[in-house]
Amino acid sequence: MGQVQHSKPKLLWLQSITCNGNTHSFLNHPDIFSVFSGFEVVHHPVLESEYTFHDLAALKIPCDILILEGSFIEKGLTKNGVEVSKMITHYGNEASHIITAGTCATFGGIFKQKDPEQISGFCFDIEQQTERYEKFASKLISLPGCPIHPRWLAYVLMMLSQGKKIAIDRLHRPVELYGYTVHTGCTRNEYFEWKVDTKGYGLKEGCLFYEQGCQGPYTRGSCNKILWNDTSSKTRIGTPCFGCTEPQYPKDRLFVTRTNMGIPATMPLGIPRRAYLTLTGVVKSFKIKRFSQRLLEYDQ
Amino acid sequence: MKKIKIKELIEKIEGEAELDFTIEDGRIEDVKINFGFYRGIEEILQGRDAWDALVITPRVCGICNHAHLIAAVRAIEDGYQNAGINLLLSEKAKKIRSFTLACELIQNHMKWFYMTIVPQLEAYLQIDNRQNHALKATYLSSTVTKALAIFAGQWPHSSYAIPGGVSCDPTHLDLMQAEALIDECIRFVEQVLIGMDMAQYLDISSVSQLHEVGGDLGRLMHLIGSSGMATLGQSYDRFIVFGESLLSSSGKSIATAVSKVDPRYVQESAQDESMAKAVTYKKRLYETGPLARGMVAKRPIIKSLHKRYKDALLTRIFARMHEVSLLLTESKRLLRELDLNEPSCTLDIDTRCADFEGTGIVEAARGSLIHQTEVSGGLIHRYEIITPTQWNLSHGSGDEHGIAVEAMIGSKSIQEATFIFRTFDVCSVCTTQ
Repeated sequence: MGQVQHSKPKLLWLQSITCNGNTHSFLNHPDIFSVFSGFEVVHHPVLESEYTFHDLAALKIPCDILILEGSFIEKGLTKNGVEVSKMITHYGNEASHIITAGTCATFGGIFKQKDPEQISGFCFDIEQQTERYEKFASKLISLPGCPIHPRWLAYVLMMLSQGKKIAIDRLHRPVELYGYTVHTGCTRNEYFEWKVDTKGYGLKEGCLFYEQGCQGPYTRGSCNKILWNDTSSKTRIGTPCFGCTEPQYPKDRLFVTRTNMGIPATMPLGIPRRAYLTLTGVVKSFKIKRFSQRLLEYDQ
Repeated sequence: MKKIKIKELIEKIEGEAELDFTIEDGRIEDVKINFGFYRGIEEILQGRDAWDALVITPRVCGICNHAHLIAAVRAIEDGYQNAGINLLLSEKAKKIRSFTLACELIQNHMKWFYMTIVPQLEAYLQIDNRQNHALKATYLSSTVTKALAIFAGQWPHSSYAIPGGVSCDPTHLDLMQAEALIDECIRFVEQVLIGMDMAQYLDISSVSQLHEVGGDLGRLMHLIGSSGMATLGQSYDRFIVFGESLLSSSGKSIATAVSKVDPRYVQESAQDESMAKAVTYKKRLYETGPLARGMVAKRPIIKSLHKRYKDALLTRIFARMHEVSLLLTESKRLLRELDLNEPSCTLDIDTRCADFEGTGIVEAARGSLIHQTEVSGGLIHRYEIITPTQWNLSHGSGDEHGIAVEAMIGSKSIQEATFIFRTFDVCSVCTTQ
């Protein structure tokens, strides 16, 4: 019974200036090989794949979907004698979709800090469009995060393999993933609502927004909706959100909240300062006993 | 005799490396190991808040990021102590850190075995095996990193270890979930990796009992033995361990004599034509990593293998995979011993120290990892990172070849040499940072 063989889209994973964190984050996806089975994986940084790095550098590999990992530099990063920027441009031209996986590839990220003049994201330099933007914008999907969330990338790949259109925002981030803030779904939300800050490190009680530098309320990402390692998130275990999906990542003094007159300097996303201050004034006039106690105690 | 020079690109090693082989008379005579791009993490840290190192340094490496976090937090803690702030970590915090670090090592070793060693050996021996070995690696690694994430929030790139302890405040519910995941890993290792009961496996103390090991590890050992490769890949038989860990104390082992070490004698130097710096201890090169830990700890089965095969690839491979069972057993013990009534963090929220110098040492998957931080006015003035691969993969110093280079010299083919190279669990990104 001759079934028509549809050829699968050819997936190429290319690394630039990176720590490989996105590669390893995606390896945590429990169904990674099922997700990949919708594609012909022509090259991958660590998994066995059809073509070698020689083929990759010789610009000989067919490519429909390009996953880019790592910050972009025009000159100075060569592999096998070939500028990586040349490989990116070549395969970017070939591909029908380009996914910038991680904050480095999307906005420049941590590795941009080494040489801010020369190093950037592929199509964005922080929030500014790079000279490549116009050429590649029509096929660009941004997946910032340091690292990427495995389920976010799987969602994008599956949508592409099914030929579905992904709704994106002005920075080309899928709105289904980045329409939320990291604050959404945080287990400390009650403490945020009632403006109760945490009394120290290593406590499950209290909000990290007021003292410990948490950027969750103004950082886009669904970390507390689609959990990390299908298990938890930074804020759930008492580590502040460092805003790692944002164009300006990494900001300075990541464990400290900047304040103006004792009020966090950066407001939760879209909240006018006046509204925030009004609400704060109201809730702070009440002392809720439950929030000054431990959530649970073990017998001493 | 005619010398031939051949350049070979090695891929799928957490980045790439270029090996320049000099071949004479059909034997490898010399190798130059070149790693690519310098990303400048140490420079990026300059001028930043001291605690930012807890977020920035894990980004040295996607596969051993957690070890960088632990080294970074220990460097700050050491600095605080040196500045007179007494940080007495609770047993609970210490155990949770040991647990999460163990999870990362297990993840790393399993990926190396199933994604590098097994497929590379099969390719070299031309064994046609269409199994998806990587599926085994990712099943185990995603299970164990899930256990890690219960405490650390996520893997890779957690920053949950903070000066004075850990940021998490686990419950018994968390402990039960973590233990179930560790049990799943133990079951997998017993049924797939070693083909026997783990307690019985850990009782094996001599080479003569190794035939009892089944599973993929037994099969690999057998393949190496039957193809005459067991004694390949010997280096200087000198080992060094700087960190105290679940697996060993610090020390150095030359042949079999174990003695103390002092990190002050570690020296870093730039190398020509490579972005990686070489590291020596009292001007001599040492191998670091699982084999070094096994030798310094005088672990009976490692000593027995070493007696027969010295520091050859069979000993090196076994030493690494042996740590998986040791660490899983220890991880389970740690979970059982945790007292949740103890504080997670002993540092007061308002206590910050603005001027200090500190060193943090940790045993990472590939060996000893050292962070040094110098802070003034709350900002990082100087930050230095010495990674395990800098020990194992340098060109060498003075008259001596590098550790991995020495192991490759004498190989009869490039394929054989590159397999030996990979037994060191090469990490390109860590080497150049």
